Amino acid sequence: MTAWSGRLDLSEFRERPRDLLAVVLAAAVVGYICWAISQSPQQALQFTFNGLSVGAIYALLAIGFTLVYSTVWFFDLYYGAAAAMGAYGIFYLRSGEALGGQYQVNDPAVNVVFGLVTAGVALWALREVFHRRLRERFGNRSALAVEALVAGALGAYMGVVLTWTNDLHVLFAPAIAMATAFAVAWLVRRAAARLPQRIDRSGFPVMAAIAGAAMGVVVGVALADTGGSKLYLSWVVSCLLAGMVGLAFYRGLYVQIIQRTRSRLIMLVASLGVLLALTALTVIVFESAPRPLPDVFGSVPWEVGGATIKGFNVFAIGVACAAFVGLLLLLKRTAFGKSVRAIGDDEEVAKVVGINTTVVIAIVFFLGAVFAALAGVLNGHDTAIQPRMGLIMLLKGWIASVVGGIGNLYGAIVGGFALGMIEQFGIWSLAGEWKDVVSFVVLILFLSFWPNGLLPRR
Amino acid sequence: MSVIPQALRERPRADIERVATVFVLGWAVAFMLWQGTGFTVTLMTVFAIWAILAVSLNLVVGFTGLLSVGHIGFFGIGAYTMAILASDASYDQLRTEAIPTPGWPFFAALPIAVALTALVAIGVGIVFNRFRDDIFVLVSFGFAIIAFSFFLNLREITRGAFGIHEIPRPAFGGWVLDGEVEFLVFALVCLGLVVLLCWLIVTSSFGRVLTAIREDEEAIAVFGYQVTHFKLAVWVLSAMMAGLAGALFASWTSFIDPNSFILLESMLLIAIVILGGLATIWGSLLGAMAFVLLEEGMRFLPFLPAEFVGQARQVVLGVLLVLLMLFRPQGLVGRYRL
Repeated sequence: MTAWSGRLDLSEFRERPRDLLAVVLAAAVVGYICWAISQSPQQALQFTFNGLSVGAIYALLAIGFTLVYSTVWFFDLYYGAAAAMGAYGIFYLRSGEALGGQYQVNDPAVNVVFGLVTAGVALWALREVFHRRLRERFGNRSALAVEALVAGALGAYMGVVLTWTNDLHVLFAPAIAMATAFAVAWLVRRAAARLPQRIDRSGFPVMAAIAGAAMGVVVGVALADTGGSKLYLSWVVSCLLAGMVGLAFYRGLYVQIIQRTRSRLIMLVASLGVLLALTALTVIVFESAPRPLPDVFGSVPWEVGGATIKGFNVFAIGVACAAFVGLLLLLKRTAFGKSVRAIGDDEEVAKVVGINTTVVIAIVFFLGAVFAALAGVLNGHDTAIQPRMGLIMLLKGWIASVVGGIGNLYGAIVGGFALGMIEQFGIWSLAGEWKDVVSFVVLILFLSFWPNGLLPRR
Repeated sequence: MSVIPQALRERPRADIERVATVFVLGWAVAFMLWQGTGFTVTLMTVFAIWAILAVSLNLVVGFTGLLSVGHIGFFGIGAYTMAILASDASYDQLRTEAIPTPGWPFFAALPIAVALTALVAIGVGIVFNRFRDDIFVLVSFGFAIIAFSFFLNLREITRGAFGIHEIPRPAFGGWVLDGEVEFLVFALVCLGLVVLLCWLIVTSSFGRVLTAIREDEEAIAVFGYQVTHFKLAVWVLSAMMAGLAGALFASWTSFIDPNSFILLESMLLIAIVILGGLATIWGSLLGAMAFVLLEEGMRFLPFLPAEFVGQARQVVLGVLLVLLMLFRPQGLVGRYRL
């Protein structure tokens, strides 16, 4: 048998003038939008609102996805599971009263698992942050004992919070109070350090502690009394849990695999295994039927120019923009952001210059999972939740970041909103079921002709 | 934690392969002896269909290094073509949203099913050929989702979520293979043909070029091989085999709906292929067998409620994938790691 060398030349197929195509396509898009507006301005406005609402969620997903991807350069499919986990966290925490207790779930096994995850992550964080200081003061063994004790206490606390979800706001108030107290004390200390030298600063730590404690008590009491605080605290708990699981997967699993192999596809397959297992576990705990989440801010839509938009969607758009600005500040203004970018450029070099890459990447994974969970929560409140939503949300975030320009944070938010609008206007004359097809066709078009996306990375 | 894996990795390769083979085959035989003939026939038929899929997907993943998650799309195209062409028209009048079906015999519809799958694969392959690595994974996810959307939403052709009924069994003249055993033999013959074809591909010069492409695309391009055409050729061949599997599946169950072709099945399929081992036919057969045994085996676990069997299998597969990637990235009997 002779080898088939396949001499059939199609290479011109790939070297078409892209810019011309881009111009033609842009003109077509503008024309299409004008046509849509002329058909029915009201529907066009409605579709714009819908596109923005969906786009906010895609943007949030894409931001987190880009953050993780541009740091480690492999696709972490756990990201989708984190989105589902965030949404199901709300369901788990709030199913008791909001839905009439109809589908109440509270599984001791789940509580124990998340308690253990919390303890593990807390132990890791304490060891990374305080271990050296504690060891110098108390010696290695007692330092370890202290850390283990604190971590165990935190884990038990999380388990308790998860078990008595109806009293979440009361149980969580001390934690919020302590966090507030620490934050205020830290701020006062920082402010004091900036004062001129001649002012006596010896009283400041005490003052800081008192002020912090007072603020903490006020916040804690206010939280325990406010009506909606349960739901908002559930958001915090849910996103935190998803983030901690993400961190745990990175630190406990991905690091191990990276040490053995440097292949991106192996990482992808491993995270595929994680996604498969977590999705199936979600079905086992919550069953596969779609579930509603409680309403937020009431469900009466606002009417603007004949079209309607829910207050919650406006809130979601605000959250996406706030998250974007916050992440941008974090990445551009802090030392942490600098080390993230350094690792994204070259992990080995970053390690050589003294960046603790494991810690930084672990925090990046935490943040990424929090973003995904937040998007999952917003999406869940907007529509409904089902175990398979994780995969779809992962893919949408992935597409949005490719459309925007992979590895570029500005591109991520632009791509998210763009994808939302494209999906909505793409199904103008089709049925709503086709929107997944529309977004994947857009993805393939972009990858074929503009692989760098709308805003290329540098 | 690292005691056993260390030992595992340092064992000679043939040793682990033998253990895996003996384990899976022994499990299968023991299970079949325990459950009796009827069960064995069902199990083997499911195995044959999954094995055709796994072997064909392994051609793409193992021999070109492209991790395709969209294979279930081709499976679905084969199944739907068979269903639409062969579904018994007389029954269809009674149903809601009836579609016109010509009611062809199985063997008339089979070549059309395979050919249509090949046509779609050529189109998709030309577009997808430029992608690699993780981007290829993303677009192949896309293909699976687009295919599923078509099955679900093109109601005039596929009857959408209602599904298509009364798909006939294969018939040689007047001899209809409506018994389970006859169909099993037919499915196994198909599997044998697919395996033979794959073996011919793999051992030929064509297969060697594919291996070289996988190892270093630029280097083989320097020698004057049109890399994209080789990749396209193996992609189309693999899709045709998946189409064949789909046609068999439609005929075996006699009813299909879009839920058999969801993205999840495709992810399970890729898990099977990686579990068994890339770039070996035997590995895919073992992987498919282990997968089928896993699902059927879990039915008999006393503490597991019946509705969670599929989920439990998925959890086990997910954990196995993670463990494999940690300790044995090439799979049980694989020759190649991603």
